[in-house]
Amino acid sequence: MITAARYELRMMLRKRSLWVSLGVIVVLLAAVGSQQVREVIRQDDPKGTMLSGALLVNIFLPVAYGCLLADRLVRDHRLGVAAILDATPASPVARLTGKYLGVCAAVTAPVALAYFGFAVAYAIASGRFAALGWALAAFALVLLPAVLFVGAFALAVPLVVPAPLFRVLFVGYWFWGNSITPDTMPTLAHSIVTPIGSYPMQELLGFRIRGGETIAGPVPGAALNFLRPEATPVTAWLSIGVLLVLAALALAAASVRPRR
Amino acid sequence: MRPLALWRHEIRRAGRAPVLGPPLLAGALVVITWADHPLRNLFVFLELGLPLTAGLGAAALAGRDPAAELQFTMPTAYRSTLMRRLAVIAAWTALVAVAISAVLLVADGWPGTRGPVAGQLTWLAPGLWLGAFGLLAGAALRIPAAASGIVAVLWLVEQLFGGAFQQHFVMKQLFLFATTQGAAPEEWAVNRLTLIGTAVVLGAGGWLLSGRSYQEESE
Repeated sequence: MITAARYELRMMLRKRSLWVSLGVIVVLLAAVGSQQVREVIRQDDPKGTMLSGALLVNIFLPVAYGCLLADRLVRDHRLGVAAILDATPASPVARLTGKYLGVCAAVTAPVALAYFGFAVAYAIASGRFAALGWALAAFALVLLPAVLFVGAFALAVPLVVPAPLFRVLFVGYWFWGNSITPDTMPTLAHSIVTPIGSYPMQELLGFRIRGGETIAGPVPGAALNFLRPEATPVTAWLSIGVLLVLAALALAAASVRPRR
Repeated sequence: MRPLALWRHEIRRAGRAPVLGPPLLAGALVVITWADHPLRNLFVFLELGLPLTAGLGAAALAGRDPAAELQFTMPTAYRSTLMRRLAVIAAWTALVAVAISAVLLVADGWPGTRGPVAGQLTWLAPGLWLGAFGLLAGAALRIPAAASGIVAVLWLVEQLFGGAFQQHFVMKQLFLFATTQGAAPEEWAVNRLTLIGTAVVLGAGGWLLSGRSYQEESE
């Protein structure tokens, strides 16, 4: 498992597409969203700045790395190496787990580079070094669970639907499930299964949108409120746990399904 | 290869994503919003969903053929092959859009602010723009996964930072979702024509880049 993870990590880190696409996207975000980025940086509060930054990163970058990871498992079959790998002593489950951990570690690298780069630049420019602590906390509680959740589904679902179709459906899901306000239409946003980490962001890190608006918990009159228990630290940990369990289930399904 | 067989082949090679994506996304949207204004959301889908599927489909065209180098040795230019597949995506997207428009018109779900003919620019302009951008990104990178990610994030950025686009003169003209985010009629027309004009430029760039010969490239 460790060997598979290490090899997958090295292979991914050498992929031009990983750095090119995430680099282009970070530049695009900085250019198009410069006003939003400036507003985030201008906040006096290092906690607010780092959490707003984490939210921006977690809304946009998973779309990119979800698209990137969509062919990682099916390509073993496309390249004709799956049968050879099956003949090795490593068990399929261990290889799958290793591949999963490897690709998640690999996409974490550019995400961490972008986010901590922003945190360090802010800390140096403002002299508020507490920002680095908040950045670490947001990374562990919000960004990492999103990587683990998206990584699992991006590996598993293309075993059932072709990778390009998965990308179309994934982008649609990501927008619908994370960005649409629950009073507009039935959505998974604001719920414990929201991979942008609404509950931990709000309850474990104390994030509030300007004006005190909440991003987690029940919304009066909205559908699917059964997925939005009262936002508390306990439900925030529950949210992280549910995301990790769903990721594990997706991987378990991938491990038992015969690949094409 | 006879024309019919050729086009049948190109329809298969254009991929399942741009063919299955629009009906699947539109169907899911109607089911999700069945109890609350499904027709209004179907109209929104014209401007949001169809350009996304066209853009992602176009981004995945270049770099997917297992032996593209061989195609460069053929009398037919490889870029012509890619353009045929792009035409398949465009035709299918247009067919779905016209079908949805017809449903909206019959069911009285077409918004009164736009006529049914000029209103087709709701999907046509952003669809052409994102399709051309996808072609350019795909031809430049030749890595469908990377090009798809860039198209997807650009789409999401425009959707979520719509306010910022509306405030800036140049960005306002290039804003993909001017219909659903409430542009004034005269600004809307300029926006649509600008999108179509710039789509031609992006498409020309994609066409030029898709003619580059393949060298040793790794994903």
